[in-house]
Amino acid sequence: MNSRVEPNKSISASWKAKPLPIPASRNRKGKVIKGLIYTVLTLMAVVCFVPFLMMLINATRSNEAILTGFTLVPGTSLLENYRTMMEYVNIWNGFKNSLFISVLVTVLSGYFSALTAYGFAFYTFKGKNVLFVFMLVMMMVPGQLGLIGFYELSKTLGILDTYIPLIVPSIASPFVVFFLRQYVQTTLHPSLIESARIDGASEWRIFHTIGIPMMMPAVATMSIFTFIGSWNNYIMPLVLIFSPEKYTLPVLMGFLKGSQVAQNLGSMYLGIAISVVPIMIAFLFLSKYIINSISAGAIKE
Amino acid sequence: MKKITSVLLSFILLLGVLAGCSGSQSANGSKDGKKVDLRIWSFTDELKKPIKTYEKKNGLNVELTIVPIADYPTKLKPVLESGVGAPDVFTGELAFIKQWVDAGYWENLSKSPYNADKLSDKYVPYVFDLGKDKDGNVRALSWQTTPGGIYYKRSMAKEVLGTDDPQKVGEMMSSMDKVFQVADKMKAKGYRMFPDEGSIRWFSQGDSPEPWVNAENELKLTDKKIEFMDYAKKMKKDGYTANAAEWSPSWFESMDKPVKVKENGKVTETKVFSYVLPTWGLHSVLKTNVKKSVGDWAVTSGPSPYFWGGTWLGVYSKSKNKKAAYDFVKMMTQDDKFLKSWAKETGDVLSYQPVTNAIKDDFSDKFLGGQNNYQFFLDQAHSIKPGIVTKYDQQLDTFYGNAVKQYTDGKKSKKAAVAEFYQKAKNAYPELNVPKE
Amino acid sequence: MKNLNKYGYFFIAPFWIVFLVFSIYPVALTFYYSFTNYSGTGSAVVVGLSNYKRLLTDNYFVDAFFNTWKIWGINFALQIGIALILAAIFSDMRMKMKGQAFFRAIFYLPNLITVSSVALLFGILLDWQHGSLNVVLMNLGFINDPIDWLNKPATAQISVSLILTWMWFGHSFIVIMAGISGISKDYYEAALIDGANRWQTLTKITLPLLKPILLYIMITSLIGGLQLFDLPMLLTDGIGSPDGSLNTMVLYLYNQAFKYNNYGYASAVAYGLFIITVIFSAIVFKSMYGNQRKQAGQV
Repeated sequence: MNSRVEPNKSISASWKAKPLPIPASRNRKGKVIKGLIYTVLTLMAVVCFVPFLMMLINATRSNEAILTGFTLVPGTSLLENYRTMMEYVNIWNGFKNSLFISVLVTVLSGYFSALTAYGFAFYTFKGKNVLFVFMLVMMMVPGQLGLIGFYELSKTLGILDTYIPLIVPSIASPFVVFFLRQYVQTTLHPSLIESARIDGASEWRIFHTIGIPMMMPAVATMSIFTFIGSWNNYIMPLVLIFSPEKYTLPVLMGFLKGSQVAQNLGSMYLGIAISVVPIMIAFLFLSKYIINSISAGAIKE
Repeated sequence: MKKITSVLLSFILLLGVLAGCSGSQSANGSKDGKKVDLRIWSFTDELKKPIKTYEKKNGLNVELTIVPIADYPTKLKPVLESGVGAPDVFTGELAFIKQWVDAGYWENLSKSPYNADKLSDKYVPYVFDLGKDKDGNVRALSWQTTPGGIYYKRSMAKEVLGTDDPQKVGEMMSSMDKVFQVADKMKAKGYRMFPDEGSIRWFSQGDSPEPWVNAENELKLTDKKIEFMDYAKKMKKDGYTANAAEWSPSWFESMDKPVKVKENGKVTETKVFSYVLPTWGLHSVLKTNVKKSVGDWAVTSGPSPYFWGGTWLGVYSKSKNKKAAYDFVKMMTQDDKFLKSWAKETGDVLSYQPVTNAIKDDFSDKFLGGQNNYQFFLDQAHSIKPGIVTKYDQQLDTFYGNAVKQYTDGKKSKKAAVAEFYQKAKNAYPELNVPKE
Repeated sequence: MKNLNKYGYFFIAPFWIVFLVFSIYPVALTFYYSFTNYSGTGSAVVVGLSNYKRLLTDNYFVDAFFNTWKIWGINFALQIGIALILAAIFSDMRMKMKGQAFFRAIFYLPNLITVSSVALLFGILLDWQHGSLNVVLMNLGFINDPIDWLNKPATAQISVSLILTWMWFGHSFIVIMAGISGISKDYYEAALIDGANRWQTLTKITLPLLKPILLYIMITSLIGGLQLFDLPMLLTDGIGSPDGSLNTMVLYLYNQAFKYNNYGYASAVAYGLFIITVIFSAIVFKSMYGNQRKQAGQV
């Protein structure tokens, strides 16, 4: 099953290509069923979206109005809600922090995983296989297993309440290394490296000019996962970060719940909406790419 | 591929720029560009104004970090432990003060140059005592005393009880049975006595409250505390409350406005008569949420005296800025001029007697229809017994609150709820001696 | 050529240094702590196996274990069921469904939202008295009395399961579609010509060939599910209310360590969780592949 799907080819495309003849007698019945299915699908889409819709509408209504009931008509308290929220919690700040961390994590994980994968794929050295298998085994270990030790380590190193323990560990991402090694072994032929060596290029140069560009599609695919994973990470920053101005978005959401903002439902909805809407907008532009990456990630596995 | 990557990258950059722009107006008080001279951590925003005064007076720049109380100990402890990004001054709440005075995070104020022992006779005794560690050294001071009362609406009292005089209303609620009588009268008029059944938990301890954990490390669930379960259940069952849980949006809403209550499938509109809150409930809860009914409130005593909360503050023992830090503590707890204006402005009841003696006689609060809440609360403060505070209070209160809720909601029998409480306490604190069933 | 191979070490060195320090060492340190009574401050005293003994008789851990399974199980059954039905519909050659890209995107959307935002949103939407969900359901006439979603153990667990389903069925759908597109179309064409109906096509062709993909979904979902934390932490009070029904294993670990300062015991909880994860992943793996071997001749 491995290499039958190219990472970035739309899945549906292959299906549309060759329509099959359908017996005429089945046509009408098929249409009714199809209509029914579309109705159900649309209903499901509505269910998927309703919580967000409620959130958006309630974000514009006052606490008093929300307590009395729900309407589809937006209210007029958006600005007031915003002011109340900003008085206690600055969601934008959490956004900035999360973005900073996630971008760095994505870049570091992409670069160093490519480096490691390249090292595993194109050099022969003692202990290579043992190390690779060991890495695969450790890949299965859930992150929570080391949580307490990780916290204590950060304490000893004096890097609690900094972003270092959230960012630096991404240099070692076993899954990404595994994925990239599989990829680069099938796409990059060693003879290409050989000829570059004969041209006198150094090993680092070969990696940067040939290795990285060759791995780029796979790195991009993995970046989606890394970014989403880092963006949604809750327990690590919850344990490691203490100063509210350094909170990431997920931790800030918990903070929002305990803060005085929680007294005003309108402001609460608005705070949640602010944490959600930019992601939705980003998804609007990138949905096809993200979804294809997920497909590719699953198949390659 | 390249196109998508570049779109992705430019989008991220755009977001970064946007986030960067708005980041400058941080809500957490970190003022960009300016050097921070003093860092303070607290769990409410009540220090915001005093800090402004302090900044103006000393020409210093203070950074206030507020962490909601539920997370406050979990967040602050590692900060103090590691010293990274640690504050110079931090506050502690009654529920965890015992744990903290002995943890060594606060500077010993009995030493010179502070010599805080000399101040002992200036404070309400229990407040001063709670700030001491187990060796009797002063670690933290507090400007307030926090006896409790019942805040009620005068107009409703007049309508239902025939009087709005705090003295007389207080007498009508001087025992639990009497409280239920008043609640009944309120209900007959379509009103609700309390927002929720948790309101009465303080009175359930009776006149001689006991600590959760005694000197032998034994967990004590007194009969009085168990009795509270029945009171709470009755409150709920007979519809004396508006089902507005403490600190929930509807709890705040029903202070000032009629609320809808759902019961037996019917929705009725009702008003809440009273809130059981201590001194600080006036300025940090009621005054900030009430707009329409200002002046229609009064405060009186309940079936038994109680106290709730209170903020202590001290200097972080590893602070590099102890002088400025103690200056702030001093202003907050010993500065006559500042404390006088603070008291007048907020109605907060102080523990610093040189100031309270000066203002208590002719104090009056417009919010309370001109009532002298100062005299009232200072009288209540005499009956406070600080011996009941233990380091387990915050978690045990939560566990017991859950147990009571299980029972009042009809999900567990009383015995099962109590058994579960014991089990949870033992689980969180294996060192406690918990009664065996 | 031989001297070039040393670059292999250079290339993998950053990875291994960071991996040793930030992954291996913490796991080992946690293992050490699990034999001590470490409380976060002071020094750790070795207490032998007593933490593990306590773990085996700890009702809360056992409850947390079953809670986690219940929540995950209901969610997984629904999620995979819905995803399979959707996949069957969209991959049906006779129906030629349109709008797959649109529906995929909409169904996947909830998965992208930060879990803590989701938890907060549902925390207030599901409030029994004022939550918009109950209000809307009552206005539409679906229910007469508000449902106390988050205050009864059964409904609270089901709520979490449903939220998880809502978040993940789109993801599973996409992955299954990817798997189906990897199946050669020849099978389906042959089935069509042989007059096989939809059910036969699904059970005789699609499902057997999808086994590796379903296994992938199940294992990743299981590992994620056993680590369930964000939702129960933020949906109610953070200690598993109502009645401990949302107390999951990782939530229990977190509270023991960072709320009650029992770091030593929490470390043992972490290892207990780990052992359970390994055992169940192995069972899933074995049962799926054990079956396949037996059926090998069928497809």
